[in-house]
Amino acid sequence: MTPEARTLLTQDEVTAAQNQIGKLVHQLRRVILGKEAMIDEVVAALLARGHVLLEGLPGLGKTELVKALSRLLSLEFRRIQFTPDLLPTDITGSHILQEREGRKEFTFHPGPVFTNLLLADEINRASPKTQAALLEAMQERRVTTFGETRPLPDPFFVLATQNPIELEGTYPLPEAQLDRFMVKVDIIGVDQPVLEEILMTRVHGEAPHLEPVLNLSELHNLFRATDAVHLPRAVANFISRLVAATHPRTKSAPEAVSNFVKYGSSPRGAIAIGAAARGLALLRGKPNVGFDEVRRVAVAGLAHRLVLDYSAKLEGWDGHRVIHALLDAVPDVERGLPQTMEAAKG
Amino acid sequence: MTNLPASIRPLLQRLQRRLTVGLFLEIWPRWATGSLLVAGTLALLARIFFASAASILPWLWIAPLLALLPALILCARHAYRPAEIAALADSLGGGHGTLLTIFETGAAHPFTMSQFRMPRLRPWRKLWAVLAAAGFLVVALLVPQRIPAADGRTVLANDVVADLKTAVEELKSEELLTPEEEKNLAEEIERIRKDALNRMDSSSWEAADALREKMAAGLSQKEDALNWAAESLAHYAAAAQAGIPPTSAQSEELADAIAKLAQNGLLSDAPSDLQKLLGGKDALAGGNVKLPKDPEALRRLAASLAQHLGDRSARFGNIRRLPREPGRFNPSEFGEFNYEQGPEGNGPPGSGGINRGRGDAELTWGDESLPFDRFKSAALPPGSVRSPDDWSPVTVLPGAPQEAPELSGASSGMQFSGTAGQTAWRRTLSPRHYSAVKRYFDNSKSR
Repeated sequence: MTPEARTLLTQDEVTAAQNQIGKLVHQLRRVILGKEAMIDEVVAALLARGHVLLEGLPGLGKTELVKALSRLLSLEFRRIQFTPDLLPTDITGSHILQEREGRKEFTFHPGPVFTNLLLADEINRASPKTQAALLEAMQERRVTTFGETRPLPDPFFVLATQNPIELEGTYPLPEAQLDRFMVKVDIIGVDQPVLEEILMTRVHGEAPHLEPVLNLSELHNLFRATDAVHLPRAVANFISRLVAATHPRTKSAPEAVSNFVKYGSSPRGAIAIGAAARGLALLRGKPNVGFDEVRRVAVAGLAHRLVLDYSAKLEGWDGHRVIHALLDAVPDVERGLPQTMEAAKG
Repeated sequence: MTNLPASIRPLLQRLQRRLTVGLFLEIWPRWATGSLLVAGTLALLARIFFASAASILPWLWIAPLLALLPALILCARHAYRPAEIAALADSLGGGHGTLLTIFETGAAHPFTMSQFRMPRLRPWRKLWAVLAAAGFLVVALLVPQRIPAADGRTVLANDVVADLKTAVEELKSEELLTPEEEKNLAEEIERIRKDALNRMDSSSWEAADALREKMAAGLSQKEDALNWAAESLAHYAAAAQAGIPPTSAQSEELADAIAKLAQNGLLSDAPSDLQKLLGGKDALAGGNVKLPKDPEALRRLAASLAQHLGDRSARFGNIRRLPREPGRFNPSEFGEFNYEQGPEGNGPPGSGGINRGRGDAELTWGDESLPFDRFKSAALPPGSVRSPDDWSPVTVLPGAPQEAPELSGASSGMQFSGTAGQTAWRRTLSPRHYSAVKRYFDNSKSR
């Protein structure tokens, strides 16, 4: 077999990218203490130009993380606090009748969606109609109003937060909208040493002062570098098998999927995992994706794309648990060792 | 594999070799197990139904070797492709994707496989099944061969002629049968067997006995001829040794005796020089024996003949020394061979006089147990009759019983009487004791 010559990031390019990403991550870790894994996932998704859904209890730093990102990236930042009475035009913008030079005409006033970094705070509190206003913006990165389509700035990220409790008066995100988030990051509480550190460093809870570490040009370079991260065919095969196994009617579906999953992930899930794994590989200073990066981002990239059966809730299964079971059941390589061999331990 | 980057080539080649071995150990045991099970089943069937196939059953052990062929073909068809080997190696090395990237792009990426450990072979996971199947074949081969049972008539017919066949073999081994005699005997035996197949009664056994007697008679005749020749030769030699020329009567007697030997086939295997001295094979076959005139030739003839007769005599001795086992030919059973006249003129069957037929043979004792061993000790209840229920009548006497005053103390089972100043006592034994004592001292059944 003759290896196909492909363009691979040089070690210098990888090192330069890793240094820039390292600065970003370092500053984020100064703001959000004890959440290294979550920060890695968010940064990996951003490098892959994906939208992020943050879910966690109040006070765990969701909004703070997004605000810190906006400051560090020197991008235009807008925040929308989603409420039940929020209208789609409050997001996308609307046409206002204005008088100009003696004539009255409709003038488009862009909404907060026309920004680089959009924080959709407590997104599940708005009505489905309003939530749907984000659909086109997130997927197509453009907005159509009154038959006129306007592109959104590049880059465009949506970082949404939602609260898993106090569900009265909320509207859970429909599957179509959930599918548009590259990853859904669950933010869990911090342990005691981290709490102690927070107390020692935050007098009134303010985040430390941050200076931008990446400008727009550098960010675009990072995007290109992320796209150039090599995805080996065997790893792509692993991703495809993983996503295919989320469907309960496939032969390769594990028992957990067959029992508790109603609908599996869309192909968008596989694309999201591949892209997020590329971002994570670059964050780790690698010119290629490996099986370990895929396993690392699989939960965040797939769990929110599963439609679980009602029995899953009865049995205490959620998307995370199902994906963990899936990762245990699907081997890295399609054709493993012969039955007369076993991997050396230790 | 040959045009891979040098940094990963040795590793992938090592892994490829090990995977090939592992794949073979996964595929071949299935085929070997299957072939051994089939072989074992065939062996069982052969043991039960096909006795004629018993000789080829050990060849069934090549079944696992035959299974090598399909196993190797499958191994070749399912061999790991280079991309699969690279993916496996990468996964075993931690799943970082570096090795895969080098494999796919050929990039000169620095690569260290510090985490990679070669997978281990675990052949017994599959080979135990081969051992179990081999055990099945061993057991199948150890099953005793079932011989299809012949019908009872055939078994009896074979039994009738079994002794005769053994006898012919014994005589043949001692070269006491000419080919013509052997052929005739074989025909006779076959005829008796066929007759017995058609009609099995005492005549079959009598025919067999008659043939055995005929064989014994023939043997006796040959021994007579041998003895005559030896005697004539002794006379002839004694005369020659004494310096007296042998008389014509002695010469004629010797010539006749030699002719008799020739007629009985006892010179058929004589040394060639002896046959030459006696006029050649044709002369011997025609009974036309002429002694040489030359004294020196005569001397050589005597020496050679004496040696030949001695050899022949030894062979008769071998026949006599055959152990008297069932099925072995024992000429001494027949009167013509070892004739002993009884004191009343009677003799063995077939020799005339009065005899008791075929049963007039001395009983022989071999491995029978000693008389003392025949009586096995057993604990008995007390000998005295203590209970009215513990008795059985020994005999019933006519008339009313007469009570003897001296027996009034019989409740103790003791009886005393005094005779001529002596005191004797008798004890009344219970019937079981009585029968036990009687059985012990009864000589009527011994010998």
